[in-house]
Amino acid sequence: MIQITDEILNRYLDGDLNFEEVKQVRSALANSDELQKKFSALKLVHDRLSAYKEDEVSPDFTNKLMKQIVTRSIVPKQQKYFIASIVTFIALLCLVIFGFSISAMISATSSATSNSQTVFDAVASLSEGLVRTLQQLFSGARLSIIGSIFSLIILISGYFFFEMQKRAKAHLSNGQRL
Amino acid sequence: MRHLSDQEIIDSVRKGNSSDYSIIVNRYKNKAFSILKRMLKNQFDAEEVLQDCFLKAYRSLNAFKGDSKFSTWFYRIVYNSALTKLTSQKRRTESEMTSVEDHFNLESEYNSYEFEKKDVKELIHETISKLPEKYSAIITMFYLNEMTIDEISQVMGITISNVKVMLHRSRNALRDLILRTNLTEEII
Repeated sequence: MIQITDEILNRYLDGDLNFEEVKQVRSALANSDELQKKFSALKLVHDRLSAYKEDEVSPDFTNKLMKQIVTRSIVPKQQKYFIASIVTFIALLCLVIFGFSISAMISATSSATSNSQTVFDAVASLSEGLVRTLQQLFSGARLSIIGSIFSLIILISGYFFFEMQKRAKAHLSNGQRL
Repeated sequence: MRHLSDQEIIDSVRKGNSSDYSIIVNRYKNKAFSILKRMLKNQFDAEEVLQDCFLKAYRSLNAFKGDSKFSTWFYRIVYNSALTKLTSQKRRTESEMTSVEDHFNLESEYNSYEFEKKDVKELIHETISKLPEKYSAIITMFYLNEMTIDEISQVMGITISNVKVMLHRSRNALRDLILRTNLTEEII
């Protein structure tokens, strides 16, 4: 004969007992008002909990969450495009300067290359001309102008980048307040 | 309209249809919210943590291998996030929740005058929120989310027997509370 403990009553309620144990619990319940009362109270708790209804989040929860998901995926993309465009612009600028140097150097040394006897002489002459042209380009007032243009570009792009980040943060914090 | 399975929705989201994630959100938001509300005992915190959980799950969808049900995986995120929130609130979660040998005395929460004013439904509802976090989470997952003991043990990272012990203990505490009141008339 098993002792009818709270544990056994709970297992009986959950259908966790074997056939023999179920028989013994039923018999004990039939013979004891106290045990019957205990089990009825336990069953009442079980039934009331089973009928429990779930809580509901605010009605616009899903919309706000989905907006936030979209915003979070868009913001890095925008920033990526912005950085890529700035890098491309600076690269193009460098290419323009380099191209200008080459063309200036070629025109200056065109006569020298035409008269040169070997390919090595021509290459040496070209590289020498390139260095000279670059030196001329990045010397004195020209260096200051080029430096100023670069600084201005970096400052402007930095300003827009931080503005973009500020706006992105504001969007995110708005979305977080559900 | 055919009821899409969680896995089908996840596959669609992975393919780039991020708006399909709203189906998952609508499917689990209230059940997860119920767990969080009972664990955190605060509606505002519960909604905030729930939002973080959905974002976390969205970002980690590629890490979901499908070894367990999506619901189990997601509820594990919910449960762990609730624990993290409780820890950050410097509540005594560790001492209350790590051992099933802990005791709680719900009867001291009420006096007889308060008992008389309440019906069983109201009393049970209030009492669940007074249970330690882990116990109210088990009650909510078992009864409201209709999860099996095995699923609950996976979510909480404890053994099946511990889940059973805690479930029984919670029910016994609620039963004792009812037996102490005049509400036992409803039983007979």
